[in-house]
Formats: sequence, structure tokens, C-alpha cells
Amino acid sequence: MTSQTTTDPAGDTTSSGQTSAQRTVARGGVAGAPLLQVENLVKHFEIRGGLMGISKLGAVRAVDDVSFTVNEGETLGLVGESGCGKTTLGKVILRLLPPTSGRVNFEGKELFDLNARELKAARRDIQVVFQDPYASLNPRMSVGEIVGEGLYVHGMTNKRERESAVRDLLKRVGLNQQHIHRYPHEFSGGQRQRIGIARALALRPKFVVCDEPVSALDVSIQSQVLNLLSDLQDEFQLTYLFIAHNLAVVRHLSSRVGVMYLGKLVELAEADDLYVNPKHPYTKALLSAIPIPDPTIRRERIVLKGDLPSPANPPSGCRFHTRCPMAQEICKVEEPPLRDVGGGHMSACHFAEDVTPLHERHAV
Amino acid sequence: MTVSSRHAGPLLEIKGLKTHFFTQDGTVKAVDGVTFQIAHGQTLGVVGESGCGKSITSLSVMRLIERPGKVVAGEISLNGDDLLKRSDEEMRDIRGDQVSMIFQEPMTSLNPVFSCGEQISEAVQQHTAASSREGMDRAVEMLSLVGISDAKRRAREYPHQLSGGMRQRVMIAMALSTDPDLLIADEPTTALDVTIQAQILEVMRDLRQKNRMAIMLITHDLGVVAEMADEVVVMYAGKVVERGDVRTIFGSPHHPYTQGLLHSIPRLDERVERLEVIKGTVPSPYNLPEGCLFKRRCPFRMPICDTAPPYRQIADEHFSRCWLTPSGEKPEVGEDAPSEEAEAAGDQLTAEPR
Repeated sequence: MTSQTTTDPAGDTTSSGQTSAQRTVARGGVAGAPLLQVENLVKHFEIRGGLMGISKLGAVRAVDDVSFTVNEGETLGLVGESGCGKTTLGKVILRLLPPTSGRVNFEGKELFDLNARELKAARRDIQVVFQDPYASLNPRMSVGEIVGEGLYVHGMTNKRERESAVRDLLKRVGLNQQHIHRYPHEFSGGQRQRIGIARALALRPKFVVCDEPVSALDVSIQSQVLNLLSDLQDEFQLTYLFIAHNLAVVRHLSSRVGVMYLGKLVELAEADDLYVNPKHPYTKALLSAIPIPDPTIRRERIVLKGDLPSPANPPSGCRFHTRCPMAQEICKVEEPPLRDVGGGHMSACHFAEDVTPLHERHAV
Repeated sequence: MTVSSRHAGPLLEIKGLKTHFFTQDGTVKAVDGVTFQIAHGQTLGVVGESGCGKSITSLSVMRLIERPGKVVAGEISLNGDDLLKRSDEEMRDIRGDQVSMIFQEPMTSLNPVFSCGEQISEAVQQHTAASSREGMDRAVEMLSLVGISDAKRRAREYPHQLSGGMRQRVMIAMALSTDPDLLIADEPTTALDVTIQAQILEVMRDLRQKNRMAIMLITHDLGVVAEMADEVVVMYAGKVVERGDVRTIFGSPHHPYTQGLLHSIPRLDERVERLEVIKGTVPSPYNLPEGCLFKRRCPFRMPICDTAPPYRQIADEHFSRCWLTPSGEKPEVGEDAPSEEAEAAGDQLTAEPR
């Protein structure tokens, strides 16, 4: 690469201007008070079978005892491979799925204790952008109806008022205001995702769960949507829980990043710290597996053996021990707790201190 | 680059290929004048966004284009043999023997009612004089070659019993069971997780070396291309816009589209405050711009771009379809500043009728 390789490790803090300053706060992770606290969250899906599906055969342990905090104004990234439970976690937080146990506290309210009326009120503040912009928009509703539905449900019953609010939102997400009467099929993928974002922002939420918001989009469209999400965060002082499998995308947006494996949070740290100095062998392998778009760089590659074990029957002890290059006897028996390994860097590994940074070299 | 004894020229040579689709709403020029070669043992990365024609190019090579699509012009020669002149029966023998293909979605490419071993064995028997027992032995051998443990047992299993990564290995095993000269891999790892992708890429790298096989790797993932390819072809709206050695393409891209693609992806090893963006969207195939197809989105747009730019050599083994001079500057003829109209068009995101 030519000019693009000039990295500035302190890039965030050296930039001037108000928006950058705000973003520094947001990305620095020293943002405001805790907004969302997740404690010991568990979500199991029962496997039923036998005659009439009565007997319980076991459970898929999609999310298993996960705790973390999201601070006001920050973006917490959540990464992991398919089946690790990251999407289920997002859905439970949104109460789109009932939890098995655990607590989620949002601004002092216990989300799981709210009754229907209180929940409806809370949902003004908690919104979601879904992965698939083709499936998440009702094809029989116009853009105006889709974006305005939340406003209507929450009391903005005047049609004219609603329409002007929708037009304003369309403008902010970079869509043509004339398109308010069009239907989803008339738009490209990137534009549909913008509609989904406008819908999420209609009620001026504080917290938005973004579940793989760009993975269905083409490369050149991804960057447009990522920039939009980061602009809107500044504009509306949003807090994001950003769920994705693409670690580069997550790094770009997040101030802190959590890594999930088989329903467990295995590492949680400041983004820069996690990517440069991973303290869990799974994170390290995950990072090493990502091809870098630069043919002159050759990085250490850790190829994990085998497939992801079934979450219905996770391995004993540390769930990663079956594929871990550092596994010892203790890993098969004792489950490592998520602990602080220095400077707030959390890792759930018995040997976190022995995990070395990835080697990287320039091929000649 | 290894040169096999079979044929002196390039292994695959595509010249002026045009594959068009004749639909009710008009003609879609999915592939419109594509030319490139692949040498024996070489890996060519074909990059582009959805709809750029990269998959249609590969299906044209396999002669798998169905109505309303048709190859309307061009030549595709494999080992000096023009594939477009072969009959359907002859193509059956060539497919799987000289050229194999693996697809993005391994579940839909495998037959659910036959075991993995039977499916590989069928391919082997089709192309060699092998008996069914020999075919099955070969299947087991191939499965273990692509890193499936306990291959004998796995060969008896059905696709639904395997994970996504395993199915893609089965596809690779099947594609390679007849020792083809060319493997066409259409987004082979896109549906897979990164750790599984790493395993599959390793298998492909290994086998490429062992079998001296050429690979046409179609992907939108520039990381995979940087890692695997010797040479890169960048496609946009049915045309090749740039071609060159992998280091040239990544180190000094010439075409503004290639530059935009490279700069707009978030990278793991670098942190930027803001991603660069390619404005607008890919043009609708029913409504392509006059002249340069990229002009509405191009930051360098000049008046001359209303005339289609030639595909020309700008350096040794480096080709680009752009009016910019080889050093990337605006040419004398198109000196005038980009028209304001052009910039406005790029800024505005308009809904495209589909």
C-alpha cells in the first residue's frame, strides 16, 4: 500500500473539531455512566422430542452466563463466529426472546420485570437495526409507513406531522425525501439499510442494537453505511451495541470489543488493546485467520483444528479447549472465569498471561 | 509459474467474451467484452461487486449459461481448444475433467440423497475407467486429502450430516478428484466463518502446489485475493476495468474504482477516523451510462469520460480502462475541471427501478 499505510495510533485524540472530540469520547471508552448492564444472562433453547414432543432431550445453550456493561455514548462491539450466541444475546436484550435467567438493567430499570405498558415505553429508547435489509422491511408498506409506524404507535397520530418527521429522517440518513411513497423493492440493498436505520432512529432512541448491519451489503456500500452510523452516533448521542462477525468492521466502529465463543464471553477489552494484544487464544486465532488486503504483509496464521462443537453439548471446562493450541489438563476440568488480566482487559483463559501478540512481517 | 507439457500457450484464454441476457425489460449485458488469460499453475483473482459479471464469466467458461442468457460473442479456449465450439456431450467430458468448479453455497451444490462418497465416486467414474469400488477408494483418498478426519466414515455420510466447512471440503474434494487443470472457485469461502475460511484456503494452497493446478478465484473479499492470487482482474458492470500483478493492483492501483474499493474497506491492521467512500451505487444494468461506466461515481470525472475509455496497457503487465494517464494524472484532452453536473449526480442517491 502507498499512502494508506500511515497509521496514526493516536489518530482519535489528535484530530480537532467538535465532532472528532465527541467521537474521541465515544471511542475512547471513557464515556458516560453505565447505560445498559447485563448480568449473568442465560438463554437456553430446549430441545424437545419423543412422543408429541413432550420429553426434554436437552438444551442448546446459546447464551450462557454473560455479563457486561455498555456505557453511555460508546460503541460496544460483539464478535464471534456463527452459532456463538451473539445474535441471540441481542434479541434477549431487546426482549424479542424471553431470557432463561439473568438480568438486564437499562437506565436503572430492570427490563425483564417490566409489564407490557412499561416495556412499550422503554422500547422508545431501545431500537434495533437488523442484518438483512431485504427481510426486515415489510414489502407491502411504503417507506413513509415503515419509518413512521413507530411514531404512530407512540402517539404521533397527526398524519401531516408524521410525514414531515419521516422526511426529515430520510434526509438525515441520506435518502431522497421524494421517495417517501415508494416501496422497499424499489431500493438497492444499501438504501434499504438506510431505511432500516431511519426507522430505528424515528423515536430518538438512546440505545441501538445493530445486528450485522452491513454484512449483506456490497463492499463499496458497506463503507457508506458505516460512516452514516458513526455520523448519526455523533448527531444523536447514540450508544451502540454493534454485533458482527467481521472483526475489521467492528474495530472500525467500536470503542470496546467483546468476543464470544459457544455462548460465553471469552474476552472483553478496549478495541485497540484487544486487536494488538489479544489475551485469549481464541481471539488470537480469530484475528490471525483474517486475510489482510495487502499482499506484502504475511502474518502468523493459527489454523484452528476441527469445527465448532455443538452448543447443545459444549465441552467440559473451558469450552475452547478442544481446539485450543495452548490447552492443558486444567482446561478440560475447570472453567476459567472472565477476569481482569491488567488495565481492565478481561479474559476467560487460565493462561491469559501467556498469550503472545501475533507476529507480522513484510514479505519481500 | 509452472508450464505443463500439454499446451504451450495460456491454459485458459478468454477473448472479447460477451454474455447477454435477453429479458422482457431489455438486454442485460452481464459480461460485455471480457478478455484475460490464466497460465498453467497460476491463481487469478477476479474481484468485483455483485452484478459486475464475475460469476457469469465463470459460468460462461463452464458453458452453464441458460436461457434467457446467451454467449453472443467471443472465444473461450482451454488448452487451445475453443470451448464455445464443443457440443453439449463433449462439454460433459471437459467439465469435471479439465475444468472443475466449486460454488459459494455448498449445501445447494450437493445432492442431498446421495452420500458424499457416492457423489465424488460418480465424478471419478464419469471421467475415468474406474469401477465403483475404485471410485469410492478415490473418494476416501480425496476426502482425507482435503483434511477431513475419519474419511472412510464421512464418505458414507450425507451432506446434511456435515457442517458448512466440511461440505465445502467435500465440494473441493469432488472438484479435484479428477485432477483438473483449472479450478474455478466462485466465492468458495464467503458462506463460511473466518476460522473455517482459513482452513479451506490452506487446503486450496496445498493442493495448488501438489497438483500444479490453476485457480480462477472469484471473490469480493480483497483480503482473500491478496493472500491467494498471483494476478488480479477487477470487474465493473460487465467489463474488466483493471488487470495486473497482485502487488501492483494493491500497491499502485490505477483505475479509480480499484482505488475506491481498496480504500473503502475497514482494515484490521489500520485504524482510520473515517472510511473513504465510493459514492452512489452500481448502475442498473438496464440503464448503463454512456461512455465510462464508472463516471457517475468517479471522483476524477472529466468531460472526456463521456467517451468510453480504451482498455490499454499502462505499465508492464498492467492494464486499465481509464482516461487517466499511466501516472494517474488527467490527460491533456480532458483538462477541463469535472463538470458540476457530474458531481451532483454522484452525490445524489437515487432509487433504481428494478
